[in-house]
Amino acid sequence: MKKKWPFIVVGVLLLFGMIGSFLVQRHPDTNLVEIVQDGQVLHRLDLTQTENQTIEVEYDGRVNTVEIKNHQIHMLEAECPDKTCVNMGWLNSAAPIVCLPNHLVIQFTDIPENIDAAVQ
Amino acid sequence: MDAKRLTKLAMLTGIALIIFVVELQIPNPFPIPGVKLGLANIVTVYAVYHYRAKEVALIVFVRIFLAAVFSGNFMALSYSLFGGVFCLAGMLLLKRIIDEKHIWMASVFGAVLHNIGQITVAVLITWTPGLIAYLPFLLISGCLAGAFTGACAQMIIHRTPAKR
Repeated sequence: MKKKWPFIVVGVLLLFGMIGSFLVQRHPDTNLVEIVQDGQVLHRLDLTQTENQTIEVEYDGRVNTVEIKNHQIHMLEAECPDKTCVNMGWLNSAAPIVCLPNHLVIQFTDIPENIDAAVQ
Repeated sequence: MDAKRLTKLAMLTGIALIIFVVELQIPNPFPIPGVKLGLANIVTVYAVYHYRAKEVALIVFVRIFLAAVFSGNFMALSYSLFGGVFCLAGMLLLKRIIDEKHIWMASVFGAVLHNIGQITVAVLITWTPGLIAYLPFLLISGCLAGAFTGACAQMIIHRTPAKR
């Protein structure tokens, strides 16, 4: 192969991937989380002030159960084909918990409102 | 297109489908959406270097569509389609620069483009830019999986006769 730049590009991609993976794994400085569906924020909660509870979200007849326990949040159950969201465990990094088939995302946020927003 | 050529394309599509269905049975230890081996792309990357662009596109589109039917997961169709088109376009363009001896490199680019395409669609469908946080993981898995499938394709080419 005459040109070497494809190797360099792949190297850069790998580097970016590895560095990025580390950066993303850090726990964000906030305790505010959002439960978002189809871009609409369904709930916005301050984890430190939320009691243990479960929240059920429905999409197209399929139900996701979000659980907050000991000031942590995760997907307890989901009616979807792959259950990737359930296997993601507790939310503890910038990487959101996402259930793609049900368009549901749980993520940290830094929007300084800690009111439990109503479904819009 | 004569019957012989059409049959060859159909066989390649069938092989890609079988590989895809078998791969579905392999448990995925990573709870990251979009991480997969993508072994069916062995066929795609092989076809890119041995068949015309339209023929490869035919294989890819038919395979993606039927894979959605076979896996019973139509919702994944938009992700697969976008990723597949992105990947195909990229590999066809790169064909001019990367020669067949380094086909594994084309496969790496293909896999990475596929993942980027999938994240793009996921962000657009769910309107959550936060999904981009998964891009670093997918870049790594794309490079590794792409290198692996590319190496398989390379071995296949090594063992098949030179004539088309």
